[in-house]
This record gives sequence, C-alpha cells and structure tokens, in this order.
Amino acid sequence: MLARLSYQGIPIWRHVQVIQWTSQVVSAIVVVALVAWFFINIGHAIDDREIPYGFSFLSRAYQTPIGQTWLPYESSDTFLYAFGVATVNTVVVSISGVILATALGIIIGIARLSTNWIVAQLAAVYIGFFRNVPLLVQLFFWFYIVLAFPRVREGYVIAKGLFINNAGISMPWPAAGDAGAAAIWAGMALLSVFVGWLVYRWLSRREIETGTASYPVVFGCTAAIALGAIAWFFVTLSQGVSPLEISHPAPQGTFGRIRGGITFSGALVALLVGLVMYTASFIAEIVRAGIQSVGRGQTEASRSLGLSGFNTLRHITFPQALRVIIPPLISQWLNLTKNSSLAGAIGYADLTNVAKTMTQTAPAVSIFILIMLAYLAMSLSWSLLGNLYNRHIRFSGG
Amino acid sequence: MAASYQPPPVQPVLPPPRAESGPAAWARDNLFSTWYNTALTIIFGILGILGLWYGVGWVFLDAEWNVIPTIGGRFLIGQYNTEGACPGQNCFWRPQAGLLLVTLLLGMAWPVAGGGVAKRIAILVTAVVALSAFLPYGLDEMGWDVRLLLLANVPAMSIGLALGRYTPLGTVKWVSILGVIAFLLTLVLMRGLPGVPGLQPVSVNNWGGLTLNLLLAVAGIVLSLPLGIALALGRRSHLPVLKLMCVVFIEVFRGVPLITLLFMSQVLVPLAFPEDFPQNSLFRASVIIILFSTAYMAENIRGGLEALHPGQAEAARALGLAGWQTTMLISLPQAIRNVIPAIVGQFVALFKDTSLVYIIGMLDVVEISRAFIQGNPEHLASARELFIFLALVFWVFTYTISYIGATVERHMGVGRR
Repeated sequence: MLARLSYQGIPIWRHVQVIQWTSQVVSAIVVVALVAWFFINIGHAIDDREIPYGFSFLSRAYQTPIGQTWLPYESSDTFLYAFGVATVNTVVVSISGVILATALGIIIGIARLSTNWIVAQLAAVYIGFFRNVPLLVQLFFWFYIVLAFPRVREGYVIAKGLFINNAGISMPWPAAGDAGAAAIWAGMALLSVFVGWLVYRWLSRREIETGTASYPVVFGCTAAIALGAIAWFFVTLSQGVSPLEISHPAPQGTFGRIRGGITFSGALVALLVGLVMYTASFIAEIVRAGIQSVGRGQTEASRSLGLSGFNTLRHITFPQALRVIIPPLISQWLNLTKNSSLAGAIGYADLTNVAKTMTQTAPAVSIFILIMLAYLAMSLSWSLLGNLYNRHIRFSGG
Repeated sequence: MAASYQPPPVQPVLPPPRAESGPAAWARDNLFSTWYNTALTIIFGILGILGLWYGVGWVFLDAEWNVIPTIGGRFLIGQYNTEGACPGQNCFWRPQAGLLLVTLLLGMAWPVAGGGVAKRIAILVTAVVALSAFLPYGLDEMGWDVRLLLLANVPAMSIGLALGRYTPLGTVKWVSILGVIAFLLTLVLMRGLPGVPGLQPVSVNNWGGLTLNLLLAVAGIVLSLPLGIALALGRRSHLPVLKLMCVVFIEVFRGVPLITLLFMSQVLVPLAFPEDFPQNSLFRASVIIILFSTAYMAENIRGGLEALHPGQAEAARALGLAGWQTTMLISLPQAIRNVIPAIVGQFVALFKDTSLVYIIGMLDVVEISRAFIQGNPEHLASARELFIFLALVFWVFTYTISYIGATVERHMGVGRR
C-alpha cells in the first residue's frame, strides 16, 4: 500500500521499451509507406501511360539478335529463352573468370611475398596498377587492343588451327562425334575421376598414418587418367565411333570466315582478360594478407622440422591462411560476377546488356525483378559454394 | 703446487666475414639465395628489362599521343562549354571558379592539418593547375581568360593559407563547414541561376568530364560514411524491426550490380513522380551511387564493430556511460580505426565506380573519350594511348586517396596500440 503511494513507476512515455517499440513501429510505417507510395505511383503511371506490365511477355518471341551465345539461339525464340541464353552468357563468363582470376591472384599474391626482390616488386607494381584503375577503362583498353588486331583474312596463324584476328581467337575444340557415345563416355569419365579421388584420399590418409611416402597425387591422377582411357577404348569399340572428335577451325568461304573449333569473340576475350586481370589484383592482396596473418612461428617451426620453402607454404602456411582468405575471396567472386555486367560497354551480350535491350519492347518493372532474381541466385550460389568449402577447412575442434 | 694459469693459445686472426651488408650482400640475400631464386631473377630480370625497353620505346617513339591534346578540355568538363549547353557565352570560367574554391580550401587545410600530406597535396595541385596555364595551345583554343583563371589558383591557395594560419577560421570545424559551402557553391555555379546575367542555367545532362567524376565522388565519400555508420549500427541493433530494415537495404544494394541499379533508376524512378515533375538524372545517379556505397560501407564498419572485444563496451557501461555514449565514444572510434583500410578501399572503389554513369548517358571522362573514338574513327588507332592516359589519370587520384588513408592510419597509430 505504502509502496504504491510513494512509487508509481516511471511515466509510460519514458519507458525504454515503449520508446523503442514506438520508434520502431513509426519508422517501419514510414518506410513501408514510402516504398508503397513509390510502387503505387509506378503502378498508376503504368496504367495512365498504358505501359504493358506483367510477365505474359515471356512467352512472346523476342525477335532481336543476341551476339555470341553459348546456347543455340534464334530471333524467333521467346523472351524467356532469350533471358536464359543471356544468363548462361553471364554464368560462363563468371565461372571461367572466377577460376582464372583465383589462380592468377594466388600466384601473384604469393609472388608479392617472394624473397626474390624482382618478383616481389613486379607483383607489387601489378597490384598497385590494376587495383586502382576503373575496370571500365581496362575493358576499353583490352577491347581496342583486340579491335586493332588484323582483319580475319590477314589475321595471325599461331599454329595449325589457332587463329587470332579482330573477330577473336579461334582454337580447336572437342566436339561430340555421336551424342550417345559422348554421353556414355562423359559418365564413365566422371566415374573415373571419382575413383581417382578415392585413391588420392586413401593414399594420403595412409601417408599421414604410417609416414611412408605414398605419392597420393601421382597415383590418384594416374588412376583417373587410366580409367578414362580404358573407358574411351571401350566406348569406341562398342559404339563404333569415338566419343569426342577434335574440331579444327579453318577459314572458309570467300570472306575467309573461320568455322569449326571454337571462336571466342573479341568482346568476350577483352571482357575475360579485363575481369581476370582486375579481380586477380584484389585476390592477390587478399592472399598476401591471409598468408601474413599466419604466425611467423608456424613458418619457423616448419622450416626447423626440415620442410622446404615450398612444402612449408603448401602444407603449413597456406592451409591456415585459407581460413582468413576464403570469406573475402567469396566476396571477390561475387564482385566479378556483378562486374561482368560491364560487358555491355564492349558489346558482349550478358544478362544486363540483353535485359537493357529488352526494356525497349517489354515492361521494365518485370525485367528488373527478373534481373534481380538472376543476380541474387548467382550470388547465393557462389556464397553457398564458398561457405561449404569454408566449413570443410575450418578448425575442427582439437 | 699451485695451479699455474695457462693463457689460451693465441688464435690466428680470422678472415673478415663475407659482407653482411652492402649491395653485394643485398643481392645475394634477395636475388640469388637459392638456385631457383637465381633462375627467377634471371627470367624476370630479362622480362622486366625487355618490357621496360619496349615500353619506353613505344611511349616515346611509336605511340600517337595526339589524341589527348585533341580532346583537351573535354576531358575536364565534357560537353559543358559547347554551343548546345551554354549558348552564346563562354562558360568555362564556372568550373574554373569551382577549382579556385578547391585550391583555397586546400590552402586552408594545409596549416590546419599541420603540414604533411595536406601541404604536399596543396602545393602539387596548385603547381599542376597553374603550370597548365602555359600549355602550348593557340589563343583561340585556350584564351587569356582561361589561362589567367588557372594562374589565379596560386593567389587563391595563398589566401587560403593565410586564412588558415592567421584567422580563427583555421580549425577543422570551419574548414569542413566551408568545404560543404564550397561544394554547394560549385554546384550552383555549374548549374547556373535563371535570371542572373552570366550564370545562365546549364542542364545537368551537359555536365561531364572529370568534373562530373569528382563531384559524384566527393558527394559519395562525404555522405556514405555517416550513412554507412548509421546502417551498421542499425544492423547490430537488438531492435528487430530496425535490424530487419537495415539488413534488407544492405543486402538488396549489395546483391545487384551498380550498373543495373543505375539503369533501373533511369527507367523506374521517373515513373514514380508526376510527368511534369522536374527530373534530374545526375541527382538520381548520385543518390544511387551514394546508397550503393553506403551499403558496402555499412558492412565494413560492421566488420570493425564485430572485431571489437565486447569487454570494451561492457567496461564503458560499467563506468556509467549511457548506451549512446558507449557507442559514440568507445566502440565506434575503435571500430573505425580498425577498418580504415577497408573504408579507404571503399572510397577508391566509389571513385572508380563513378565511371559507370555512362549507362544513363552521362559523359564522364571515360565515356567522353569512348564517344570521341567512336565519333572520330581516324583516331581509332590511338585508342590504346587514350585509355592508358585515362588509366594514369584515375591511378593518380586513387593513389592519392590511398596515400591520404595510409597517412591518417599512421596518424591514428593503427598497429602500434
């Protein structure tokens, strides 16, 4: 009774939780209202100006040519299929770019820390230059380099079947002789790679447990290649055709256009070179920071145990550095994928470029949603891949 | 019998050790320590010398640098001073007046920062700008007014120096306030005021060149840091609704390429406003660039906050600091200090990203060059030279940003505390 009279609690408007929740609710309402206002206005504008909307356009024919494509494409194909073709174009660039940039970046990052002064300085100059110049400028630079190559008929012939000219680079490429045989062999080849991996695991475990040199890499690769070769002979003998044939490019016709093999268009070459050189400079810095984050004692202990410099890097420093390297590396992969949207500037038909053209004949809002979903899916895939690997290599107790 | 002391036999004098210092020892340790290091040294040494030989030869003998003076002032201001943008007048003085304000501020910043980087940048910028008054153009291409205004940067810098040194304006607070005022004044000068003679309005669509890149970068750098801090704090807040909104914003803007966002801002945003509403593509672009950079900045700051030991905040609370005091005085300063390299990296990325405005048809320094090559096929062979020049221009600016960042970092004692 007395307590109730002397202390009545703080007033409700000064109660921390009341303030927090009120402010949250108010700000949420404001934000939601703004977003809603934005989209309702767009909706009205779409109605008023009779702009088409919805996703029905997807089944219409796109009727616009796309440059180089990895999937067969004709102008009579639908919007949906064209969108898929453009997505595949972006995916091809980003996957090959990520692989090449990661390899180059690791090499340059390690070179940056080399005890050899010249190598370290060259790597430093590379990083300092390519990291600080906009990708767009680099892309234009490579694009105009490729454009300055001689025309198709006067182009360089490096070796039999390797052509370089201003249409791009042509090289021999395996082509399926018979689709069925190729599919059978591909399945068997996958299986033999898996067996080779099992051999590698078994031998490396044996090497760790017993200490006897077992050469897991040598025997693993040998097993995989031998099994693949056996499968090749088996398929060739049983099906009567070899699963893959090498198709050689050769100039044909009066204009000397190169057919056969595979031709990487000039825009694609410039795009890949630019993306790889640019992203590699960032990855190199990540690798350098990661290796430097491993305690000096680790290297010293490993050297005093008799491991060579290369083995120290391979077995001691780099595996530990990977834990630091992987998260920012993934974000560089995402950056490369997103940066591939600059392809439009040099005329490679990537997702953004095709989508930009599509907005001329299809509703922009729907296309915006599709692009966002496509990039989101690609980003999530890279994150998933990187995080799986990260889980694989992180400290496992002990 | 007492043991007699036997002096040790006199050792022969050893030869001096192999040189432990000096160029020979340095070369042995850094170039020829092992057989593969020797091999690497020889291979890359030869490659480096060959590259340098042909590179220098190309730069001085083969390269056609004519394209750069041909584009000339358009690198700096794009189409700003053309007949279509600024009919009947010479409008070049307006961006030049903005430049005068910049050198004035640099002069003020010199004594305020206590010499060091600020001094070097102020002197270097003023010297380069003033010396460019003597470029060997004909007077019909580069008139007396242009040259005099360029030379005026020297007195402008001196006035700034005097203001910073001898007046009470020489504090960080006043320099920042005057910086904002100068930025807004430059925008007004560039845009023009209707009805004022000599300041006829110039549509922002005609702004361009390096001026455009720098304006976008400055606006982005100044605004993305505070906004990023706010978002990072919001994302770490324990208020669920606030946190959700921040997470959604950050992830949406980080998930989509900037170029897509810019393009869609061009297509979608105008639809949300009435048809007669004044539209401004530059404003939209800068908002998108700022928001994009903010999302990345927020993640950098959050990284710094998460790396901070929770004991810091707990100790602050135990000493009786309020929540906002703990954040503003204890957590944030340490977090920001720890992620300065990432923040500077984001500034560099922001500056590089300003070249993406080509997608909405603005003629920044890269796009004006590309458009020039496309419009003048006789210069197609010089495209290489042109883009190498642009790369150098960008490199100078980004390197300066990194250099300032490194100095600030050293100043704050990162790595020593």
